[in-house]
Amino acid sequence: MGDYLLLIVSAILVSNIVLARYLGNCPFLGVSQKMDTAVGMGMAVIFVVTLAGMITWVVQYAILNPLGLEYLRTIAFILVIASLVQLVEMFLQKSVPALYKALGIFLPLITTNCAVLGIAIINIQEEFNFMQTVVFSFASAVGFSLAMVLLASLRERFPTARIPSAFAGMPIAMITVGLLALAFLGFTGLTG
Amino acid sequence: MLAAGLAIGGLGLLAGVGLAVASRVFYVYVDPQIIEVEEALPGANCGGCGLPGCSSAAQAIVVGHLAPNACVGGGADVHEKVAEILGVEVELKEPEIAQIGCRYSVARADIKYLYEGVNDCRAAMLLHGGAKECPIGCIGLGSCISVCPFGALSMGDDGLPLVHENICTGCGTCVRTCPKGIISLTSVSNRILGEFTTDECTAPCQRTCPAGINIPEQLQQTAMGNYLEALRVIKERNPLPLVCGRICPHPCEFECRRNLEDEPVAINYLKRFVADYERESGQRLELFKAPETGRRMAVVGGGAEGLTAACFLARLGHSPTIFEAMPKLGGLLRAVIPESRLPRDVLDWDIEGILEMGVEAQTGKALGKDFTVASLLQEGYETVLLATGGWDAMLMRGQEPNLDQAVPGLYLLLPLSLAWAQGMDVPMGERVVIAGGGDMALDAAKKCMQSGAEQVTVLYRRSQQEVGLTDSEVAQLSDQSIVLHFRATLFQFKGVDDQLTQLVYRQTASGNGSQAGGSVSRRFKETAIAVDTVITASGRLPEMIFVKVPGLEGEDTPLLWQTISPYHQPTTIRPEGLFATTEPMSDYRAAVEAIGAGRRSASSIHLYLSGKQVVPPENMITAQTEVLDVSQIVELLPVGPRQKMPERPATERIDPSLEVELGLTEEMVRNEAVRCLNCGLICYVRSKYH
Repeated sequence: MGDYLLLIVSAILVSNIVLARYLGNCPFLGVSQKMDTAVGMGMAVIFVVTLAGMITWVVQYAILNPLGLEYLRTIAFILVIASLVQLVEMFLQKSVPALYKALGIFLPLITTNCAVLGIAIINIQEEFNFMQTVVFSFASAVGFSLAMVLLASLRERFPTARIPSAFAGMPIAMITVGLLALAFLGFTGLTG
Repeated sequence: MLAAGLAIGGLGLLAGVGLAVASRVFYVYVDPQIIEVEEALPGANCGGCGLPGCSSAAQAIVVGHLAPNACVGGGADVHEKVAEILGVEVELKEPEIAQIGCRYSVARADIKYLYEGVNDCRAAMLLHGGAKECPIGCIGLGSCISVCPFGALSMGDDGLPLVHENICTGCGTCVRTCPKGIISLTSVSNRILGEFTTDECTAPCQRTCPAGINIPEQLQQTAMGNYLEALRVIKERNPLPLVCGRICPHPCEFECRRNLEDEPVAINYLKRFVADYERESGQRLELFKAPETGRRMAVVGGGAEGLTAACFLARLGHSPTIFEAMPKLGGLLRAVIPESRLPRDVLDWDIEGILEMGVEAQTGKALGKDFTVASLLQEGYETVLLATGGWDAMLMRGQEPNLDQAVPGLYLLLPLSLAWAQGMDVPMGERVVIAGGGDMALDAAKKCMQSGAEQVTVLYRRSQQEVGLTDSEVAQLSDQSIVLHFRATLFQFKGVDDQLTQLVYRQTASGNGSQAGGSVSRRFKETAIAVDTVITASGRLPEMIFVKVPGLEGEDTPLLWQTISPYHQPTTIRPEGLFATTEPMSDYRAAVEAIGAGRRSASSIHLYLSGKQVVPPENMITAQTEVLDVSQIVELLPVGPRQKMPERPATERIDPSLEVELGLTEEMVRNEAVRCLNCGLICYVRSKYH
């Protein structure tokens, strides 16, 4: 149990997928201008990453390893994630229209979110078992959402802040992200 | 190798089949209308409708979140097609077209440095906001041209983007792209409603013009011989050009940059010429009118202000009716200006033009006598604008002293004092409020108490110290049921039927200076008090828009009304309340000021009817705004002196009905119009750039 707790803390704070591993920067900067879109994106990512983590783990240990095709991991995972997102989109549209409406426009964006692929690959590299994979994938995605929400809450204040015109827009967002990442660096050592 | 191919191929096949099955299993019915509408839309994904793309727009249109004519990129054809699919009728929409707000290319303007970077305005903007000295000048690298999804922009020979008006759909992509924000979507309505802002290139003359005419454009068109185009430009801001061309005190000419060199351009003579040109042709210039809205509003007062307000309301598509107490329209213009300056047939031609725009007029009907504000609202007029002028206008009507209550329960102190002096018995309500008036207000307060008032409240705009009353004096008055409030101004009236019931005043926090011209605090306290009679110490009533209190309508319920103040003259310091500190306490000094006030009133009514807040644009140029300007002009092109107005020989001036000023000839006009420097903020026509 303690191991899982450690895994969760480490995935959310210490090795935050965006702020420590620098994965998934595109949606992180792209959709973090408003709080509600940031939350929507975060939820969609949690959903997809957890599912993708599980399925890619199965693909790795059930197909690739027995056939000795570990070197095809990346391409196979991309294939799996892309179809998975499609499938999830269709499933949600039919079965949970409310959730589909809330996540709708973010789902296709996730296909190209390298955090999803990154987490799937980390799961394999760290030689996690299935349960660890589920927990780590979920926690990493929560870490992503946390970072999104933090940045969105900061960026929502930009319009009222006195930002030098040269820094307005993306530059100040990048600086903010940098400072956020520095702050997260402070968690290093938390897990020993 | 084979295993690898099979594994990946198999995985792909599995995913493909899975998805195919899933698309069957999870099939969701999509409204075929959405698909049809999406096909009808241009597919440019310009975002002009406010949604991210045409497919989301199609969905919103079918669901009803967007109107069938929401696609700005598509224009009338697409609107009709979409409406046909949906089986509805489209409202006509006035086309909005991109307009470039900069008149001097980089080659003809002062620059800070030579830019040789990435060929994109947005990149150039990063380097000290572009090469130009002027902070809002066109950078000229054509980012707007490259983003236009319809190819409606190209680079003109003058180094400025050129809008092809017949291709432009007004989608606004260029507006959003231009880093300088110099492109705007304009329509006649926008130009009627607009105020000059700090984001625009404006010349000193047009900023000074109380009516806000685009004078540089007017003079450029005149110089090119397009006299009717020049007139069209004038009429977007001033519906009385013949009148103004004769009697305007032309403050614009005092600010003309040519003053720095020789003499100002004779702007007003040129205005008169183009207005006369139309009249002599006998054919009225056809002016654009927004599609009919069918909404009715009343304008009380048929002087310059009321005529202007009604004319612009009509041009915005509404149906205004003017109510005038005198037998003929024209107000002070007709009553007091001598014929030798303003022949009456000239005035009539301008007024006729206004009526032809779709303005109804009922003359010989006075507010407070023949009808009331409440009766007008009851008859279905959505708003009632008070443009009655003041004491002067009342005197002109020849009744002395005139105690007509245009607003139920409201007196001007001046005629009221006169009536008291003549021993007239004026009925007073129980609760009286007197606004302003210094010591005179206190005298009036005591007189009110004698005439039956039980409580008098006096509102002073100044502080107690400035008014010069000691605490004991205030306490003494308070014992006599005369309550004083300082730093307080009238803000709003409310009433039921023909009865004034409530008054709202605003009070600024004490302690901040109220000296004119100083920065005025926006903090204030709003207080509503019950009232029967209000006396204001001003010479005129401010413009007020009466509307029904929304949400309280029913068959038997009494009519509740309240007033809204139009936003005011940009040059006035008007912290809060109905009256500004620098506003005239009597009628406007010049027709052109009344015209400006009339247009702003029309604009305010339009804002109110569109459900928007009645406030001017945030960055409107006011008297306090510091606008970029030049202090000297150099390298001018050689031009002739200012033209002199030909006048009737003194011997022939015996007949007072003959006009003294005869008007410029066309040749003089051409010579005069080219004297215009076509000024922008800091640009003007210079020989070295010519």
